[in-house]
Amino acid sequence: MADVCYDEATCIYAGADRPAVDALNLDIKDGEFVVLVGPSGSGKSTALRMLAGLEEIDAGSIRIGGRDMVGVPSRDRDIAMVFQNYALYPNKTVAENMGFSLKMHGVSKEERQRRVREAARLLDLEPLLGRKPKHLSGGQRQRVAMGRAIVREPQVFCMDEPLSNLDAKLRVQTRTQIAALQRRLGVTTVYVTHDQVEAMTMGDRVAVLRDGRLQQFATPGELYDRPVNLFVAGFIGSPAMNQLNVDVDAGALRVGETVVPLSAAQATAVAGLSRVTLGVRPEHLSVGGGELKLQVDLVEELGSDSYVYGHLVAEPDTSLVARAGRGRFRMGETVGIGFDPGQLHLFHPDSGERLGP
Amino acid sequence: MTAVTAPSAVPVGTIRSRSTRQVSWSRRAPLLPALVFVVVVTQVPFVVTIWYSLNSWNLVRPGSRQFVGLANYVHVATDVQFRTALVNTVVLTAGTVIISMVIGVALAVLLDRKFLGRSVVRTLLITPFLVMPVAAALLWKTAMFDPTFGIVDYVLGPLVGHVVWLSRFPLASVMVEMIWQWTPFMMLLVLAGLQSMPTDVVEAAGVDGARPFAIFRELTLPHLRRYIELGVVLGAIYVVNEFDSIYMMTQGGPGVSSTNLPYYIYERAFLGFDVGQSAAMGVVVLAGTILVATIALRLIFTSFTGREEAA
Amino acid sequence: MMAATDTLAAPPRAATRPTPAIRRRRRPGIGNVVWGVVAWLVGILFFFPVLWMVLSSFKTEAAAYTNVPQFVFSPTLAEYRHVFSSGVGSYFLNSAIATVVSVVAVLLLGTPAAFALSLRPIKKTSDALFFFLSTKMLPIVAAIIPLFVAAEAVHMLDNVWTLVILYTAMNLPIAVWMMRSFLLEVPSELLEAAEMDGARLWRSLREVILPVVSPGLAATALICAIFAWNEFFFAVNITAARAATVPVFLVGFISSQGLYWAQLAAAATIATLPVVLAGWVAQRQLVRGLSFGAIK
Ligand SMILES: Nc1ncnc2c1ncn2[C@@H]1O[C@H](COP(=O)(O)OP(=O)(O)O)[C@@H](O)[C@H]1O
Ligand SMILES: [Mg+2]
Repeated sequence: MADVCYDEATCIYAGADRPAVDALNLDIKDGEFVVLVGPSGSGKSTALRMLAGLEEIDAGSIRIGGRDMVGVPSRDRDIAMVFQNYALYPNKTVAENMGFSLKMHGVSKEERQRRVREAARLLDLEPLLGRKPKHLSGGQRQRVAMGRAIVREPQVFCMDEPLSNLDAKLRVQTRTQIAALQRRLGVTTVYVTHDQVEAMTMGDRVAVLRDGRLQQFATPGELYDRPVNLFVAGFIGSPAMNQLNVDVDAGALRVGETVVPLSAAQATAVAGLSRVTLGVRPEHLSVGGGELKLQVDLVEELGSDSYVYGHLVAEPDTSLVARAGRGRFRMGETVGIGFDPGQLHLFHPDSGERLGP
Repeated sequence: MTAVTAPSAVPVGTIRSRSTRQVSWSRRAPLLPALVFVVVVTQVPFVVTIWYSLNSWNLVRPGSRQFVGLANYVHVATDVQFRTALVNTVVLTAGTVIISMVIGVALAVLLDRKFLGRSVVRTLLITPFLVMPVAAALLWKTAMFDPTFGIVDYVLGPLVGHVVWLSRFPLASVMVEMIWQWTPFMMLLVLAGLQSMPTDVVEAAGVDGARPFAIFRELTLPHLRRYIELGVVLGAIYVVNEFDSIYMMTQGGPGVSSTNLPYYIYERAFLGFDVGQSAAMGVVVLAGTILVATIALRLIFTSFTGREEAA
Repeated sequence: MMAATDTLAAPPRAATRPTPAIRRRRRPGIGNVVWGVVAWLVGILFFFPVLWMVLSSFKTEAAAYTNVPQFVFSPTLAEYRHVFSSGVGSYFLNSAIATVVSVVAVLLLGTPAAFALSLRPIKKTSDALFFFLSTKMLPIVAAIIPLFVAAEAVHMLDNVWTLVILYTAMNLPIAVWMMRSFLLEVPSELLEAAEMDGARLWRSLREVILPVVSPGLAATALICAIFAWNEFFFAVNITAARAATVPVFLVGFISSQGLYWAQLAAAATIATLPVVLAGWVAQRQLVRGLSFGAIK
């Protein structure tokens, strides 16, 4: 087990005009579960494959347990990887798949069998040990891929969207199982996903990537509470955070006819700006209790509660979504919206960077 | 937003060179044995042929070999028989490829439907292609085209009278035999194309109100186009070099009426022992083939392989 | 209201349908039957010459030479006996050696090359690929004279190993393209997984990739074998009595025995049989091989 450190790590594919991963810095602690998240094409897989030794590190370095990995082939890195399509060896049984790396490392047959059986027990794979991958269900294959990784007791687990080939229900189930397993084994894990819910629920810390650049590397709570820019703010949370361009007026915000007061720290942060981008999560808007008038366009009933989509009466171009209790509002209705001043996010109107605390 | 527009954070000087010499050699090494072998066995002879073509050399007259420059080419240019052979080659190739493709498309469409014993019929249809070319030519020469007990004369005799097919229509007779052998090839290619046709597209067109013939014209044919092109190019490559059937059925005769270029060059080299001249003809044929085929091959295979490999 | 009535009425109607109509959504229409008959007729027409060859091989020479084709006759194995007694064995042996050895050589040379061109593409991959393809379309007549002269110079005329070399070169392009198309279907993660599991390249090839592509290997071997077995041009020009193969035997059989059709039919049937059987078994791979792997 070891810590992992990306130090200005960069990967440029031949013929590409910009790096797929651009000067990435990440300090991953021993035993930590880190999730790389971002939209498709943001360089998550590339970053992971650089760690695994499957892509070259064109600049900077990656260290595992303090050892520089530049030029070190995969097989000498003591890393296990779970691939999106599992990459099980089709001609080998489950047991042989799981034992292959041990065999390659010259582990004795008895020891191999013992460790394979142990891993199989952990993952409920014992009855399947003699089967070939093509006779397994998707979920079982996924577990075999996990088993192949854990049986090696490597320094680091790499997982590239390991759940994306499962159906929604199984995905949620397996998500918690993987997280629990990792905590139990305590192996440093780098996990790639495009699904922010997966990232938030599984990671000790989450790194948000965009276009090969690290946007923010923080705990899920921090990402949710203090996104560093509009991109992270919009990416984390569902439905996405509302973004309104509003005027700043004497240490307060003016939204339509309504004045939203700011805290002292916030007021300091917006000093000198005439407009800012205001971010409010749907769950932090109170529906029915405020002065800001919202015309309801659509109500999404989720059972437990509902989301109200609408536009401001004063500024018809501005749309908002707010969470409300169930069944209280109807389409076409005009309702009052209230802000909680403690749950506002302010961003620079041009750069999108966070302003204030 | 700054994150998007800012230039790359990587200082250019720190980028390591990607492929060290060692890596690229370990990747190239597996290719080398095959490459060297093919170059030595198939490419070097062509170069030697070019050298021979500049010499006057008759195998049966030892010591006759001498450098004559382009004299052989002048001779080839004025050789009427060579020109006949050239025309015959074009006619034979074009005729065989086009006709077998037309029949092949029809058969493929027929076989694309479900009917009782479809796989048996398919097996029957591909059999001509599997028959050893020499045996096939022999079969057509004797059992089919024989003037006294051939099947063709037996069937067509009552309609067109008694005809000695191989001497009256030598080139056409050879062509019939070749079409018989090559139609299955075309059919297989086109059938593969038909079966790779996405069914949802056809269903969508049906829902949109297109009739079967309109579907065939608007969707199937365009889809089949590259399969047909591939069949034409590959068929032409094989057929242009045809030697076996002419050797077996007509020996190029009567006269040179059914001689194609490969057979003519063979005749000059192995029956006339005129190395220099036949080499010159070989070079001419080589140049022509390279010109036509490189372009066609690259176009078609690039469209099929879909992507150019990342270097 | 209308819709509701319809749905209510539907179940009983469906229930009274005859069972086959439920199983098969559309009954084969009269059109399909007609097309089926047409297809069968065309199939028989194309197959007829082969059938005729096989039938004739079981006839006596007199029965084969009739103005009116005879379909009913008393079969005899006399012509086969005749062919076998005429020393066909050594020709078969030569063909077998030339075919088997050249196929093995093709696989040994071609598989690593295809590997270099697919799983781990090198620079100029497509140039190398098209070079292989282009060798296939060059007219071999233009190469036969130097090959003949070279073989004579090293005393390898009429030598089956010369054929082995030539057939290997002839089939390598097909094998490289074909194997590459099979290898391209292997997900690259498989090799990466093996590498991460600590296997060296050779080990992962043998233990992981080879078992996956072995059906492709078999198909490639089959195609190359068919081409080698049927090859005539090289065989007739650089072999004589000692190294001659089956196609040459057929030609020689004509000149030495004269045009005896029943006998020839027997000889041609024997010569053709191995490839026809192999081709029937491997119809799908046939397309792939003939199209250099372009068609799956
Ligand atoms: N093998 C490759 N060659 C060239 N470009 C690539 C390759 N793999 C990925 N890329 C490019 O690198 C960028 C990052 O890709 P990737 O890491 O796969 O993204 P993600 O996993 O976040 O979806 C993308 O723009 C993608 O097009
Ligand atoms: Mg990815």
